[in-house]
Amino acid sequence: MTAAILVVDDSASVKAAIRIALTAAGYRLAEAADGAEGIARANAGNFDLIITDLNMPVMDGLTMIETMRTMPAHAGVPIVFLTTESDETMKQRARAAGATGWLTKPFDPEQLVKVARKVLGR
Amino acid sequence: MTESTTTPRPQPGTDGGTSAGLEVLTFDLHGEVFALEATTVQEILDMIPATRVPGADHFVESDINFRGRVIPLSDLRLAFGMTRSRNSPEARIVVIEMPIAGETTLVGLRTDGVREVTTLSDACREPPPSVGMRWRPDYIRALFRQDDEFIVLPDLDAIFAADLSGPGGRLRPAN
Amino acid sequence: MTPDPTETFRIEAAELFEQIEQGLLDLMQDLDNRELVNAVFRGLHTLKGSGAMFGFDALAAFTHHCESTFDALRRGDTPVTADVAGAVLGACDHMHALVDAPGAPGQEEHGATLLAALRAALERAGSAAPLEHMSAPTGTGWRLRFSLPPDSMANGTNPLALLTELRDLGEARVRADLSALPPLEALDPMQLHVGWEVELRTSAPRAAIDDVFIFVMDTVDLRIDSLPPADQPAPVGPDVALGPAPTGSPADPAADSRWSRPAENVRVPAERLDEMMDRVGELVIAQSRLGQVATARDDLPLRAISEEMERLSGELRDTMMVLRMVPVSTLFGRFRRLVHDLAHETGKAIELATDGENTEVDKTVIERLADPLVHLVRNAVDHGLESPSERGAAGKSSAGRIRLSARQEGGEVIIRIIDDGRGIDRARLRARAEEAGLVLPGQALSDGELLQLIFQPGFSTAAAVTSLSGRGVGMDVVKRTIESLRGSIDLRSTPGEGSEIALRIPLTVAIIGGLLVRVGEGRYVIPLAAVEECLELPLEQDRRSQGRAFISLRERLVPFLRLRDLFATGTEPDPHQKMVVVSTGTERVGLVVDQIIGNHQTVIKSLSRLHAGIETFSGATILGDGSVALILDVAHLVAAGQQEEARMRRTA
Repeated sequence: MTAAILVVDDSASVKAAIRIALTAAGYRLAEAADGAEGIARANAGNFDLIITDLNMPVMDGLTMIETMRTMPAHAGVPIVFLTTESDETMKQRARAAGATGWLTKPFDPEQLVKVARKVLGR
Repeated sequence: MTESTTTPRPQPGTDGGTSAGLEVLTFDLHGEVFALEATTVQEILDMIPATRVPGADHFVESDINFRGRVIPLSDLRLAFGMTRSRNSPEARIVVIEMPIAGETTLVGLRTDGVREVTTLSDACREPPPSVGMRWRPDYIRALFRQDDEFIVLPDLDAIFAADLSGPGGRLRPAN
Repeated sequence: MTPDPTETFRIEAAELFEQIEQGLLDLMQDLDNRELVNAVFRGLHTLKGSGAMFGFDALAAFTHHCESTFDALRRGDTPVTADVAGAVLGACDHMHALVDAPGAPGQEEHGATLLAALRAALERAGSAAPLEHMSAPTGTGWRLRFSLPPDSMANGTNPLALLTELRDLGEARVRADLSALPPLEALDPMQLHVGWEVELRTSAPRAAIDDVFIFVMDTVDLRIDSLPPADQPAPVGPDVALGPAPTGSPADPAADSRWSRPAENVRVPAERLDEMMDRVGELVIAQSRLGQVATARDDLPLRAISEEMERLSGELRDTMMVLRMVPVSTLFGRFRRLVHDLAHETGKAIELATDGENTEVDKTVIERLADPLVHLVRNAVDHGLESPSERGAAGKSSAGRIRLSARQEGGEVIIRIIDDGRGIDRARLRARAEEAGLVLPGQALSDGELLQLIFQPGFSTAAAVTSLSGRGVGMDVVKRTIESLRGSIDLRSTPGEGSEIALRIPLTVAIIGGLLVRVGEGRYVIPLAAVEECLELPLEQDRRSQGRAFISLRERLVPFLRLRDLFATGTEPDPHQKMVVVSTGTERVGLVVDQIIGNHQTVIKSLSRLHAGIETFSGATILGDGSVALILDVAHLVAAGQQEEARMRRTA
């Protein structure tokens, strides 16, 4: 079964770019616009990987990751966050919150697919 | 057709068909007695749940699981325009193997009850009457009169060929 | 039943010939490639050795000369020229004949002529100074030892993914380090207690190895040492038991290739694979029933065993699937030689491009596609491509272009043959069809219908059946073959620009992942590969769209079908209808069902002849409780959805 990936980001263009790259690589995609919707989607579906931005309205990425890690249903699901190269503090905080890996912005489709494969193992 | 009073009595278990007869399995259907060539019979099953196949012709409208294979379950009553079979404790499924459009195919047939394996002698054989019969003559291969009852040998090739000639794949939405 | 040894050799020889030919064709484009020279040499060497073993003396003797030629090439005693490679390539057909029909009249003389040509080519190449020897990279060996803190998996780290990434870098031998494993009572299943030791041989740089651990760099305990290079690398690890090397061939060439070429082949008769597939299918069904029984009972040990069996049968199933799938590159490879020959015979310059060689298709399908594809390619060259002068006059490149492409979309593989030739002349096509009595003069036909006439038996598109295309394989046979694989053919053509034939073949794997749903009282399976998403049909949408079966999904309109109506269940709908959105890769439709039950390992059973004509279903399966569930044919339903959409548009 192809892996299902949830993308959480308030930017429609970022989501579109990610969608194009990952569906071309054969993954199935779903989207959410903020941390709260992300949690709702994750609860309603069965995702093998969650890719999330950190800076979002309603509920930001950090809070979403922290919350998810307290929910047994999402224990162990890989979560990759999007970050800018220079933001070391944010990176550490995200990893402390329970993120699995990261992807530096701006990224190209190849890097995106590479990280997805790395974290999924397929 | 003989008018002699000594109608040859069929012996069950006779080495099939040597004495000018046909070895068959007889079964009940809507109060009548039907027969199938014994060589085609694979197995007799108790009634098991069947899965409806939407879009199939009405007398092969479901499938059953037979030894891990999915085979059609046919209700011959519907082919003959009788009312639909009802489940009774004696109802059985007879699984036969026959060529359909050149392919050896397994089909399950619903029956109201299975009788016995017996030999129908050619001497008792009658051609189906052209008029006055309840069922389509082209679906009947032969009639046998034995022990004061009529035994019907259906023409399964004709029945199932008719199904194939119909347009397959039409799925009629209810609305 | 012991197979006929000669037959075994013939099969092996066929593979070797393909290897040698491909190698030679590649070499002619890339004369400096030592790898290729070695590969061709190994092939010739094995061919000679095995041939001798099985009594094909003429073959062994002839091949010996080709082998020594390549020995000289790989030692650098003679420079590699296209001439020499071409001469050996020309000799390949003769070697074929020596296997298929040894002792045929004229063979010896023919062989002598070829060898003379080979010698001439060698002389022309001259023996210049020996070339510099470059040993093929065998890669460096590393030993890695790593372990992660016990709570690593809590943040989604998957150690198995790390191992997979390491394996992707080269040949890896993995051993688990269980020294930190606590006793069972103290074992926390959510914690990681296992470390690993990996012996890796790779030509990738050290940085690539470090990169594998990049996300866990700050928590992993990782030690990497380099291993001493080995002259004769040890065979690959414990997993795959490689069968004995093909009899007669010395061990060295095979061992050399193991490190620099990924796959060694084991020969298994196809029927055995099929039998295994059947057994695995039965196993999956039986295990599913066991699972049902185990869940119903309150028996913990039983449940544990049942789950273990589920895991094992799942893995077995995955392995089986992989065994049967073969990349289409094996098919495409043949065409390079074919096109090369066709170019010579027709005097047309041809460029062949391929993509999607890695697309995998079931083994039986590959074999049955071979002839139809050959016919289609020959057709394209023969009738499609113009001569260089015609092309020049039309403003096209002088070399005609043929592209073979393979892609997997949804539950199908699509293989395309595209040419940039003259396209199909509709007027001539029409005239031919009328001549053949397939259509009445003046009868109205759409362009699509006209093109489809090509596939009618009794239609021959060439005024003269040329030796190239006329092998008794007509377009109608091609169509029938594809249809017997439950596939379809699509033909598109633009006069002056070219044509495209698309073959759509459903993936014939017998076990697929499925989504089990309920409609009314019946249960149905939807192939998971086609499922995009599942959602609940909002009540207002359900009510509102009584006459208009569309739903707006993320700003796109998706047509949907109520399966309850389609199947005429006659039941009342469940209060919360669910919708499963399925797609064929490009088009989608929503299927409205009463309940989504869950995932189901679906062993595909074919429908009886009596039900095979029903297009809505592509097969059936047996559920855990022994009952039958029908498998939906997604392509057909999507098409039905599209028709609905078109109808709605017209009446809107």
